[in-house]
Amino acid sequence: MSLAVLASAAPGFSRWCCAFGDTREGAEQEGAEGRPARYAPQFFSLSEYRTVEVLTELILPSMEGSGAKEAGVAEFIDFWVKNDPPLQEQFRRGLEWLDRAGGNGRPFIELSPAEQQKILDRLAYRRYQRPEEKTGQLFFRLMRQYTVMGFYTTEIGLKSLDYPGLKFYPTSPGCPHPDNPEHVGL
Amino acid sequence: MATQYDVIVIGTGAGGGMAIRTLCAAGLKVCALNAGRKLDPPKDFQYHRMPWDMPFRGFGSAQQQAQSIGYMDNEYVPNVWEHDLAYSVAPGTSWTWPRCFAVGGKTNFWGRSSARFAEIDFKAASRDGLDVDWPVSYDDIAPYYSRVEQMIGVASTVQNRPSNPDGEYLPPIRFRCRDYILQAAAARAGIPYLPDRFAQLTVPYQGHPACHYCGNCTNGCDVGAFFSSPYFFLPDAEASGKLELRTNTLVREILVDRDGMARGAAYVDRVSRREVEVYGRAVVVAASCIESAHIMLNSKSRQWPTGIANSSGQLGRNLCDQLYGTTASGYLPQLLGTPSFPDNVSGASVAWLPRWQNLKTPAEEPFFRGYSMYPDGGCEEFPSYFDDIEGYGTSYREEIKRRYPTPLSFYVQAPSQRSDRNFVDIDPEKKDVYSIPEVRFHFEWDQNTLKMWEHAKQSSQEIFRQAGAVYQGHGEPQPPGTSLHETGTCRMGNDPRHFVTNRFGQTHDVPNLYVCDASVFLNCTDKTTTLSILAFSLRTSETIVENFRSGGHRSDDPATI
Repeated sequence: MSLAVLASAAPGFSRWCCAFGDTREGAEQEGAEGRPARYAPQFFSLSEYRTVEVLTELILPSMEGSGAKEAGVAEFIDFWVKNDPPLQEQFRRGLEWLDRAGGNGRPFIELSPAEQQKILDRLAYRRYQRPEEKTGQLFFRLMRQYTVMGFYTTEIGLKSLDYPGLKFYPTSPGCPHPDNPEHVGL
Repeated sequence: MATQYDVIVIGTGAGGGMAIRTLCAAGLKVCALNAGRKLDPPKDFQYHRMPWDMPFRGFGSAQQQAQSIGYMDNEYVPNVWEHDLAYSVAPGTSWTWPRCFAVGGKTNFWGRSSARFAEIDFKAASRDGLDVDWPVSYDDIAPYYSRVEQMIGVASTVQNRPSNPDGEYLPPIRFRCRDYILQAAAARAGIPYLPDRFAQLTVPYQGHPACHYCGNCTNGCDVGAFFSSPYFFLPDAEASGKLELRTNTLVREILVDRDGMARGAAYVDRVSRREVEVYGRAVVVAASCIESAHIMLNSKSRQWPTGIANSSGQLGRNLCDQLYGTTASGYLPQLLGTPSFPDNVSGASVAWLPRWQNLKTPAEEPFFRGYSMYPDGGCEEFPSYFDDIEGYGTSYREEIKRRYPTPLSFYVQAPSQRSDRNFVDIDPEKKDVYSIPEVRFHFEWDQNTLKMWEHAKQSSQEIFRQAGAVYQGHGEPQPPGTSLHETGTCRMGNDPRHFVTNRFGQTHDVPNLYVCDASVFLNCTDKTTTLSILAFSLRTSETIVENFRSGGHRSDDPATI
């Protein structure tokens, strides 16, 4: 298999290559390259997938036009979970838990941004954590892990860290602070 | 009539590659057997492959992760690590055995640390009374080290340490910010922190290009800017017209004649599944420390009922390994928020903390002999510390970026001591898919090694304190086999009653059977093994050439008792 074929099969690829238009409609429409303009999830149901999208975007929001959304992280997670059966139940149960966490019968994606943030704060920060919400806390950690894995392995993700490797250097790059060996006050 | 070769060489890695190169250069006709395929580096090493070029982004699928043996067995370079051939592990033993079946073996991916062993290593037993001395002195081996360094190119500095004899070096890789911080901190703790001896070309060398510091090394170098057998040894041997390289050949046993001398090898062709015999006037075993013993133990005959050249009963015994494990991890707060820096340019550590224990006297510490350590960390590709940071959202992303240059850890390289409990034998029942009886591991860490592990954790924490680094914890000892530096299954020594080979790597029992890998080493030291495998293999290979010239494979080594 050539690299190009491999890459086009890779999750997230449709996001980087194809114009990404209306997010609510057009799941069946063909994009300019003959690919569906709207990604059709392979593992998650459509409503689960939308929640996954929202979560990845809350965990790693766009900064200067680069974040989980632009990197297609939700596609990556869908692909990964489809290929990792032991994880499937954990994701599914976690998403169910999250939809009940608002306590008012409304699923997570229908909550206001402030309500969503309140729930995530309860899961993410030790000072807000509740002992009876272990399931939710573990799910958040899992979700964050796969979001980080999906983002910081893309070109824009590594660019956001100024990843300096896999480049050509004519000589070994040495410390630029020879006068400050202890590196204090940088 | 079947072709008669001068020498059959089993294995094409550091030891086998050196033997092939040396024997072919001397005009001997060589047939080399390798268990797997030949790599095409520009194709197989996926030139600067990025994580998004792979479906599982370099983490590997759940199935790949479950199958993987060793950290180099990953999504970047699939299909070069052995998964088809089972091995057996005795109850209570947790050995893992990564085997690279590609031509060139692990030299395609090795860590490249290349320190010489010293007199304090060869004569350790005389100092502390443990086990026995090597049958060679540093002065015997030093000229071979020099020649190997000239062949492969090693970057380092002159350091004047008795445990670390200086060699002939290319300019060192430059220190990074973290190295200066850690060097000063280690000095305050009384611990050396120095440029490693590193087989990486810092200048163009002998027709090989200089390193371009992309950091891709452990996935294989597509331009050959560090030593590997396929880049440095095999091309000349193939050009000589003296080499026939047979790939996908899995050696079942060494064949013997009526007198019990080696006459060739029997192998399975893994493509056709045919059983094949190949004949030679001498045989070199260089299949790796464990596999060489496995093949020899499986080479049973009327003359050698417990395995070829095993009249001493020592074949497979005396297995030693180096304990690996993360002794401390955390981060350097002084680098928080600093610009990303190409710390990972060599794909490995450019510095090391060479043995500093028990140098003046053998009993300075609560353990015998010594260990060394390596630093790790910096801007690695993936921010693997992400789970240490609380939260989500923009503040979480900013903290990931701020921490990117700061991660720091140390890992230890601590040699085990010879023990009767540590060995390999043949499993009496289990056979692999080719009906070859499986090798079986028996191994546990000894108390001395575990004391080194404790000491290394303390030393690492002290450097953390001195560096003002934030300490977050330590790892656990990795399973034996992780270091890839196992030694000792065919130890060399002058007395045929106790050792498998003589001091030239020639088996005492079968004078035309030679061993060219780390299995002849008496024990592990605090150093890595590849440079020494190359030096000892060069010496053994020249002994073979000499023996061919003088008309036979004499066993009357004057040093033999």
